[in-house]
Order: sequence, then structure tokens, then C-alpha cells
Amino acid sequence: MTNERNSGIFGGIDFKCVGLYIALSVVGLMSICAATYDKESMSFFAMSNLYMKQAMWVGIAWLFAFVLMLSDSRYFHMLAYPAYAVGILLLLGTLFFGREVNGAKAWFEFGSLRVQPVEFAKIAIALAVARMMSENGFEINKPASLFKLAALILLPLGIIVAQNDTGSGIVLGSLIFVLYREGLNKWLCIPVLFVALLFVVSFIIAPTVLTLLLIFIFSLSEMMMNGEWRSRVVFLAAMFALSILIYIIQWAAGGKMLYYETLLIASGVGVAAAAIYAYRSNLRNIYLIVALYMASMLFLPMSQYFFDSILKPHQQNRILTFLGLQEDLKKTGYNVHQSKIAIGSGGFFGKGYLHGTQIQYDFVPEKHTDFIFCSIGEEWGFAGSAVVLVLLLLLIFRLMKMGDRYGEPFGRVYCYCVAAILLFHVLVNVGMTIGLMPVMGIPLPFISYGGSSFVAFTILLFVAINLDASTRRLELGR
Amino acid sequence: MKTYDESARIRTLRVVVFIIFGAIFLRLAWIQLIDSRYKEMARNNILRHVVQYPARGEVYDRNGEYLVQSIECYDFMVVYREIPGEGFDTVRICETLGISRERLERELASARMAPRAPRKILGFVSQQEKLQLDEFNLRGFYTVARTVRRYPRKVGGNLLGYVGEVTEDMLRRYPDYRAGDYIGVTGVESAYEDVLRGRKGLRIETRDVHGAPRGSYMDGAFDTLPETGSSIVCTIDARLQLFAEELMEGKVGAAVAIEPSTGEILMMVSSPTYDPDELVGRERGNNYMKMLNNKRRPLFNRAVRAKYPPGSTFKLVQGLIGLQEGVLKPTNMYPCHMGYHNGRVTVKCHAHGSPLNLYEAVATSCNAYFCYVFRNILDNPRYGNVKDGFDVWREYVESFGFGRNLDTDFIGEGDGYVPDRKFYDWRYRGSWNSQTVLSLSIGQGELGCTPLQMANLAAIIANRGYYYVPHIVRSVEGRDSLDARFRERHYTKVEPKYFDPIVEGMWRGVNVGGTSTLARLEGLDVCGKTGTAQNPHGDDHSTFLSFAPKDNPRIAISVYVENGGFGASTALPIASLLEEFYLTDTIQRQRLVDMVKSKNIYYPAYDK
Repeated sequence: MTNERNSGIFGGIDFKCVGLYIALSVVGLMSICAATYDKESMSFFAMSNLYMKQAMWVGIAWLFAFVLMLSDSRYFHMLAYPAYAVGILLLLGTLFFGREVNGAKAWFEFGSLRVQPVEFAKIAIALAVARMMSENGFEINKPASLFKLAALILLPLGIIVAQNDTGSGIVLGSLIFVLYREGLNKWLCIPVLFVALLFVVSFIIAPTVLTLLLIFIFSLSEMMMNGEWRSRVVFLAAMFALSILIYIIQWAAGGKMLYYETLLIASGVGVAAAAIYAYRSNLRNIYLIVALYMASMLFLPMSQYFFDSILKPHQQNRILTFLGLQEDLKKTGYNVHQSKIAIGSGGFFGKGYLHGTQIQYDFVPEKHTDFIFCSIGEEWGFAGSAVVLVLLLLLIFRLMKMGDRYGEPFGRVYCYCVAAILLFHVLVNVGMTIGLMPVMGIPLPFISYGGSSFVAFTILLFVAINLDASTRRLELGR
Repeated sequence: MKTYDESARIRTLRVVVFIIFGAIFLRLAWIQLIDSRYKEMARNNILRHVVQYPARGEVYDRNGEYLVQSIECYDFMVVYREIPGEGFDTVRICETLGISRERLERELASARMAPRAPRKILGFVSQQEKLQLDEFNLRGFYTVARTVRRYPRKVGGNLLGYVGEVTEDMLRRYPDYRAGDYIGVTGVESAYEDVLRGRKGLRIETRDVHGAPRGSYMDGAFDTLPETGSSIVCTIDARLQLFAEELMEGKVGAAVAIEPSTGEILMMVSSPTYDPDELVGRERGNNYMKMLNNKRRPLFNRAVRAKYPPGSTFKLVQGLIGLQEGVLKPTNMYPCHMGYHNGRVTVKCHAHGSPLNLYEAVATSCNAYFCYVFRNILDNPRYGNVKDGFDVWREYVESFGFGRNLDTDFIGEGDGYVPDRKFYDWRYRGSWNSQTVLSLSIGQGELGCTPLQMANLAAIIANRGYYYVPHIVRSVEGRDSLDARFRERHYTKVEPKYFDPIVEGMWRGVNVGGTSTLARLEGLDVCGKTGTAQNPHGDDHSTFLSFAPKDNPRIAISVYVENGGFGASTALPIASLLEEFYLTDTIQRQRLVDMVKSKNIYYPAYDK
């Protein structure tokens, strides 16, 4: 039996998800209003007020959402690769013609309108990833497939990092979440996450120690992947013996004792041995490990270079401050310090809407964009923050559930991509306002001020809702 | 349809999401609910404590006349970053305040160093100037109410003292002061600082990140109003003080008058003095430097700090000690042949009848007579040797308030100096006798007394044997009584009955025939004793010690004029005129006033 709801134009739409979205956008509008409200302003409804601008964008976004709910889901599958190509072109375009804001050359400017293409590129990338992973013959644990997928993700990531918009770039790293869902060997996920962590802190660890750590991580994950450990222990012991041998030769030759070079030579021999072993035993995944290891070793000297040359001083300072290597409440730490004061002074029930002193008296910089959570934390307190966070948590769970609901890989992967991107945004954005994460300039989805980001997140979400609705319509209609 | 592995992965991912949100929740709970530092820091961010300065207490003289007034004035302040970018009318500010453009620009340049902090551009802006400035309505500039001291009678520079901004040194010593506060530095201002200063008020304002005010905190629930300092009634008679300052002009020295029945200081002049208004306001720094460089040292309060040899006035003390010790009877006669001669020692004297008794010796100020008296005290066989005799003598002298400060309410009071046994042992390597220290008998030698101590001696004799600690404040607003130490009689070691012959001698010196006859006032029974203290650096110092009337005395006075010559030539006329003015409220001897006023003493030691 079919009913009106399932067969109409809104059939199969997940209204719980839409409800969460509307709730979040209202919360966002209210907190932007609180953050930018000016008691002395002449008129509450003047279009010069930021919250009125945002309200206009919300209206536009809802229009997009409405159109997306009506459109045919097959287009998304079809347009995935062209959209990806357009996205890459846009990203490249900003690299050459973009406008620099806060040190990141990541914006297009049309008159007074400023658009950050990376927000829209995320949609295209999510679609492309979904399409690639849903194609026949794609096997997540096959090196060839994996390399293709890695290229698909790393290409835009590289461009975004080159724009100096590191925060947005790292968002794409969250797609490992999706890869894991789709069956990527967990012993590949864990070293990737671990290596990412190592790179963040690499410049405070000596290269020798870092290399030793890398060898250990990769050997261990290979052991867990292939379940053979005796021969691997022999392998490690042999490498150790080789290192000592090279070391003794140096000593006998009366030359300088070089730990790092010794380690490099030994690991080079080890890599060659591992490759030969992989070829002979037909264990393809060893290639992956070896490739990852080599890439890491190549990146290792680069991470120092990356830190010194590519990161701007303010970004270096942010990382150093976050790692506790540097304390400066006047400059780098100022934002986070003031944001913690604002949120921390909120208490359980907050100071009341429009009564937050720190927000109203401008102590928190960027209080309506990246630090919008301060407005919620100060005026609505722990209770209000918890409600907002639960809304976001429910939305993420809803997306994961939508993905899991049906076996069709394209929709499933896409939904998970959206969930991963949202999760990462929430973790980093809220985390930085309370001192859990280093400061990266990425917005809080649906809440931060900014037209392009709100519209982009709306499209990102409603494509997922549409895909889910269409499959549900099919299932229900059947 | 899902494999086991797939469901495990889905569960794992849910757990990951939960862990991430859990971490955020825990951290939020920590900073919002448990860690209270952030609430404190938020308050510190927005609250500014604005001090409201109280008016300083005013000072009246004993007749209710203003000695010191507190007049409204303003500090002209700026907050640099609030100055509008298009500039402002510097010319008008400069014209209104009477400062040069360079000065204004210099102040603004320093204000620029801390653009958000309020900075004082100019102090002591009058009310009229303030109203003009208010009319200009200058953004970034504002005024803060303060008070400034005014001295309607322009008297009592060193007596009243001055008020200044606290220095860094004072800030370390007195933790309840803040930079920019005023504090009494000398005189009454300093001695009664805790009474006069009042209590500062506090207004708690909220400020935004730029420091711009956003209204009062909690509608002023925690604000306090400033409390005006208590007023003080001084014991000083302003008109007498003014007259004394006029008479002392051109002379270096000091004059102090005490009301014997209470110990109240009626007048206290340290000459040269200065107009206290000069140490107030914008020109204060320049005037202060000028006074510092003045060789006559107007800032040195001679009345309570200088150590002068008392000269012949000290003979009164010798006579009293002799009477108490029983080595002298008023009828004892000693010879004087132009001085005291004993072996190689000679103390010269002037021409008068010989031999003579105690009354005549006091009246004519005979040196020889008191040499005998002094030696009899020291060589009294009761004490075995002269050194023990000297100790007894010294104890008596101390009981008269010499050689120690009198514990008045005046800060920085000097001790004077009375040599002790140790000093002479050191000076004469142990071998000395009553003849060695004979110059003490006539108030010379190592003896040093402050003019206040000498006036106190006059009060002791007027009271026949006791004194009240001299003090300068009669009553303090809001306090029932003065400190107990000012209401207590301090007796000397000489019994009151022995004072009569000395008083008689002093009366005769004025009214019958002696050195002080010029001080005679019809019907007032003035008693007096001149002193002429030899001075190795120039002319003798002139001093006069007096009280009147003889019975129920109302004023005891001591005048000391450096290099003034004979006691009768400079100090006596001044003291006498002051007595006349105080007791009769008029001046009959205008010619004497003119003579004293026209007398300018040349001081080679100061004026080099």
C-alpha cells in the first residue's frame, strides 16, 4: 500500500533530518544575531545588519534545498565527475585569481559578495568519491583501486593546501572515516591516522626517533594485516643487526658516527627486501605498506620544510601555542583565551540571550564566524551548548543511518562523506573554541556566519536527503 | 544482508562519533561548570574601577577663620585612541588652558604610548576653564574632579605643610595609596593625613574591549561615594601668625607662642617663610626648586628643627635646678666684677651692681652669678664627684623638655641637644670638671634647643612647674577629644614653689629695671628674659623668652633671631609686640612695629 507521503513529490524525504537542519539554521541565525547585535543600531531589520544578510542567505539556501528535493537523483550520479572537474578548475582558479583573506588565497570576490569555492568543491569531491567507490570492479583493498581513490582525494587537497587554506584541506582527510566504513583494512587506517598525528608533531621529534617510530608502526600494521609475525620479527632483527653492522663499519673506518644515516641505509635495504618478499609471496598489501613508508620518509624532511616555509607565522604560532610550546595570551593565544573565557563564564544556564558580556563587548574576535560557538556557550550556557551539540550529533547519526539503510553504494558512500565532513567541522570548530584543537579557520556547519558556506552545506546535506529519498521511494513503491 | 564485519565497522564508527562528542562535552563541562577561573577573567575583562577623589579636609584657625580651604579643580585627561581621526582644535585648548602648543603635543605624544589608558595632560584646571572645555565638547578629552588647597591668609607655610602626589617611594611604604593620590608631605597636612585625606569613592563601570564605557555595573550596587576628609581646627591664631610673619620678615629665626594653660601653639613662625599657595598648582615644581636653591632654606622648619644655643634664657633653668637642689637660696649673693674669674677661666659680664641676689641676677642677666650656681650644682658634695653631679643636672634639664623631642603632633620635630657625660668623656678624654663645661651655665657651649623647646620653657615657668605637650590641633571633626597625651600635665623635677623667685626676677627684669624693660606693657605684668647667644660665625643670636600676664598667664612666647645682636635689640621687640597684639588686640607702639619691620639683617653665612 502506498500513501500520499511516499508517492508525492516529497515522498521518501527524511523529515527528521530536514527538521534537524531547520533547527540548526534557526540556532545559527539567533546566535549570529546575538554576536552582531548592536543596541545603538537604528533599525533592527536594516539590511546592513549581518544577521539580516545571513537571513537572506538562509532563504536562498532553503530555495536550493527545495529545488534539490524535487530533482532526480540520477543526475547526481551522472554529474559527479563533471562536477569534480569544475571543482578542481575553480580551486585552481582561486590559486591564480583568488583574493587573499587572512593569509589564505581561497576566495572569489564578486562585488561585495565573497565566495569560498572550497565549500562547493567539497560537494563535488564527495560525489566523485561516491561514484568511484560505487563503480564495478572497485575493491577497496586492492592497491590499484586505492591508489586511484587516493589520487582523487589528494589532488584537491594539495590545491587547497597550496591556497594556504590548510584547515579546509585537512577536512578532506576526514574521508578516511568513509574508507573505513567501506571496508578499508583497519591496519591501514590506523597507521594513516598515526602518521598524520606524527606529522603534526614531527618538528618537535628528532628525525632518528621519528624514523624508528615509522618503521615500528608500519611493521606492526603489516604484521597485523597478514597475520604472520615470526618472519617479521626475524626481519626486524635482521634490520637491527644490519644497523649495528653499518655502525661498526663506520667506527672501524674511523669516520663520524651517524645514527640517522645508518638507520636510512638499513631501512632502505629493508624496503628492498620487503618488496622482493612481497613479489615472491604474492602479498600485494605489502606494496601498500612499503609505498606508505616511502611516502612518509619523503615527507619527513618536508614536514619541517612545510612548517618553516609553507605555514605562515600565524599558523606556526597557532600550532606551537596549541602544543603548549609557546604561551602568548596577547597575540596568538588571545583568540582562544578570550573564547574560553566567554564560554567558561557561561555557567550552566548562561547569561541570557543578548546578555553575554564578552560577546556584546567584543572581547571575542571573529565571534560571528569561526568563534560563533562562544555566543552559544556564553549566553545559553552548558545547557544550551549541549542542546546544540546534540542536534549536530543527531544529524550526523541520521546521515550515517541514511547511508546504512540501503545497500546501494553510491548513496551510502555519499551520506557517509557528508557525515564525516560534518563531524570533522564540529570537532575542529567547537574543539578550538574550548581549547581542544588548534585554531583552524573552518566554520561551524549551519551556524557560522557566511553565505557561501551555509548554501554549500545546505546543498551537501540535501543531495544526501534526495539520494536517500529516491532509494526509499523505489523501495516503498515496489 | 550486511556482513558481520560491516556491522562491526558501523558500530565502531558510532563509537568514534560518541567519543568525539563525549570529549567535547567533558571539556565544556569542565570549563563551564567546574573551572571558575573563566568567570573571574570575564569579570576582569569588562569591569573598570573608577576612583572618585574626595575633597581634602579643611583647616580652620582657633577663631574659626580659614587657614586652608579645598577648592574644586580638575585634571584634564585624554584617552588617545578616542581622539577623532580628523583632529581637533588644539589652539582653543591651548588658549583656554594657557599652555603652549608644544607642551600639548608632547603630552599627546606620551599618551600615544598607551593609547587606551587615560592620561593626565594638565592638573589644576579651574572650574571656569573646565566649563569652557566642556563647551568645546572634545571627544577623547575629559576632566576628573580633584581638589586643590587654597590659603586665604597666605600664612604658615612650614606650619601647615604642603600636599603632593604620592611618590613611588611612598607607594611602597603606604600600600593603601595609589599612583595619582595626593598626600600631605609636611606640617599639619602630613601629621593629620589620615584625618584630612577622606575616603576615595569607587564606581564600577563596564567597558568593552576598546575600553569604551558601557554603563555602570549592576546599576551601581557596588559603587561607593567619596567621603570628604574631616576638617581640623588649629590652635593657631591666624592674625597673630600673620603679624608674626610680618615682623620676622628679613630675619632668619623662629618665633613660637604657646598658651600655657593648654599647651596650644598660638603661633609658630619659621623665618624665612613662604606663601603656601606657591606650593600648589602648576607652578609648584618651579617654586619648589627655587625654594630648594634659596640659601636661607625657607623649607627648613626652624621652629621645630633648628638647634640653637639658648643663651641667657637658659639661666632660668640653672636657677631653678639650684633652688631645687638646695645649693641656692634666692637671697644668696654673689659678686660680679665684669664677669666670673677663676684661675685662667673668665666668663665676661656686662656692667651692673655687685654683689647681687637671684632676683637681680635674673633681671640683669648676670653671667657670673649663674657660673657660681652651675658649679655648685655640679660640685654638690652629695654626689661625690662632678660627673655624677652632671648626670643629676642633665636629668633636671631633660625634665624641662630639652634634649629630646616633646612628642608633639608635629612630624619631624627635632630633639635639640643636651650633651651627656659620655660626650664630655670623649671630648676631654675623661678629664673634665665643672669648670671645663662652664659655658653650659649661661646656655652656651654644646647646648642646642629648638625654638619650640624654648617656648615650652616659657610655658613651664608661666605654669610654675608643668607643661602640656605643645600641640597644633585643637579639635578634629568627628572626634570627641584630643589625644590623651595633650591633656596631661607634665611636671618638671623642680617643685612649683621654687618657680616664684625666678618669675619674680623675670618680672623685675621687665617692670623694675633690667635687660628687658622695653617689653613692659602697662597693666599686663609681662615677665621676660633676654638671651644673647654667642655665635662663632658672626653676630650674636638674639633671643627673648617671655610670658604674660604674670598671674594666670595667657601667652608664653619665645623669639629667636639669628645674628640679631642683643636679646633686647631684635627678639625682644618682636615678642613684646606679639604679646601686645595677642593680649590687647591692638598695637599702640606703631613706631616700634615700623622699626622692627624695617630691620633687615645681613647674613653673610646664607647670602654668600
